[in-house]
Amino acid sequence: MSASSTTIQPRSPFHKYWVILSTRTQEDMSYRANYVFGAIFRFMPLVTTIFLWYAVYEARKAGGGDSSIRGMSYEDMVAYYALMFIARGFSSVPGTMTDIMKDIKDGLLNRYLTRPMNYLMYQIMYRLAHKLVFWYVALFTFPPIFFLMRHFFSHTPRLVEVIAFIFSLVIAFSIGMLFCFIIGILAFWFLEISTFLFVVMMIEFFLSGHLIPLNILPAALQPFLTYSPFGYEGYWPCVILMGKVPQDHLPALLGIGILWIGILFGISQVMWKAGLKRYSAVGG
Amino acid sequence: MPTTIGKYFRLTGLMMKNCLVREMQFKSNFLVRLFTEFMWLVMQFIYIQVMYGQTGQIAGWTKWDMIILMGTNHVITQLFEGLFYENCTKLTDQIRQGDLDFNLIKPINTQFLVSLRYTDYSSMANTSVGLFIILYALRQMGMTVGLSGVLLFLVLVVNSVLIYYSILFSLSIWTFWIGRSNNLMELYWQFGQFSRYPGDIYPWLLRRLLMTIIPMLVVSNFPAKVLIHKMETGLVFYGFVLGLVFVAFTVWLWGKGLQRYRSASS
Repeated sequence: MSASSTTIQPRSPFHKYWVILSTRTQEDMSYRANYVFGAIFRFMPLVTTIFLWYAVYEARKAGGGDSSIRGMSYEDMVAYYALMFIARGFSSVPGTMTDIMKDIKDGLLNRYLTRPMNYLMYQIMYRLAHKLVFWYVALFTFPPIFFLMRHFFSHTPRLVEVIAFIFSLVIAFSIGMLFCFIIGILAFWFLEISTFLFVVMMIEFFLSGHLIPLNILPAALQPFLTYSPFGYEGYWPCVILMGKVPQDHLPALLGIGILWIGILFGISQVMWKAGLKRYSAVGG
Repeated sequence: MPTTIGKYFRLTGLMMKNCLVREMQFKSNFLVRLFTEFMWLVMQFIYIQVMYGQTGQIAGWTKWDMIILMGTNHVITQLFEGLFYENCTKLTDQIRQGDLDFNLIKPINTQFLVSLRYTDYSSMANTSVGLFIILYALRQMGMTVGLSGVLLFLVLVVNSVLIYYSILFSLSIWTFWIGRSNNLMELYWQFGQFSRYPGDIYPWLLRRLLMTIIPMLVVSNFPAKVLIHKMETGLVFYGFVLGLVFVAFTVWLWGKGLQRYRSASS
């Protein structure tokens, strides 16, 4: 019956991940000036988008055509590209693939393997910290820009849509993160994958609806696009908030997203275990 | 005088040869860069294809007009990136770290030396992809361009590359004043977007801005318009005068900057 003050309190197994998160956040915060610059210039492409699509819609009207494209008015189109910045702010985890690849190729992975923590969890905390700082800065830069663009947002989202939107952003981050992890650990098997990496990122860029809203792509592709995991990284969060998804479809849509998280998580675990068996720890 | 000019040409040749030797040591890197640039073009092509799936023309430009603009823009940006981009980014570091000393002591015009020292051959090779796109689009349109048109196009391309160079070089040498300018290089990628589309889509004020202070429309739209027979003679002259003003400004700014240079050990 010694004094309880001298015994070490058992900490929750998640405590170490909390430490990673908070240290990383503090580190990133010291670079926030970079984030501010990036946050402002990030919106530049919207200027060309606004005028280009205006010209497209005007030309359609002049030709006596429909004033909407697959249910999207001009305002919707611009709103879509603006909301894409929010969606990508969650789903894109820049540098993750290449960092993981480097850890494996250069044998740096050793220093994580010898610690009592999960490498995937470590990567998630690391990137989550990055996202926290990104969104801290975005709290100041996004609202003025969205305010300036307010007349493009014709739909006032209902509460259920806002909730589904927030939910979809969590899915967006999870899928983005797991996908990068899976591609990154391919480095266990292949030494030189930078070209392949680029192709993968292009495909992700396209299939997430970042380049073009998925619903205006050819009809033949639609079944595939609707069920692919990439749509959750951009397209779905945008159209949910724009009220383009019927309310009774929302549970199924989010359900499929969660299913994809499960599938990708499963794949990542199987690959991770198989990969570690091949891992030769070069240079470690 | 002719020997001086000859010296500059010879030196340019030597520097390019030196870079070619370096490049040959990393052949896979060369191919990767060729491939990635090509993929970007494919993406741009899909974007154009989807937009023209909705309408036959955009601000008076047909699909093939737009593709010629895309090809022209590619030729110009790749030529610029091949000859100058790497030099501009390296220059900021040289100024900051005082490494410019090594170039200042050489018996040759320093601006010439730091501007052309490194050549990126993958970008140079990409230029041919742009030319191929232009030729293909012209064939699709059943359009022919006379010899004078081709010459005017080429001269305007050179003019555009020099304008790009002037803008980027000026941005790099801001380092003399502010001590760092890495973020400023980001402006190149951001402003570059404006050159990808016809100027006719922009409202009056923005169009004027893109024709003067940030002449992104001059660099891509002018040469492309020559090929599709939409160019006005007056604008050709304007383009050349603007190019001259930009280059002259750069030379002037470089001189001013050097006066502020603090060298390595200060």
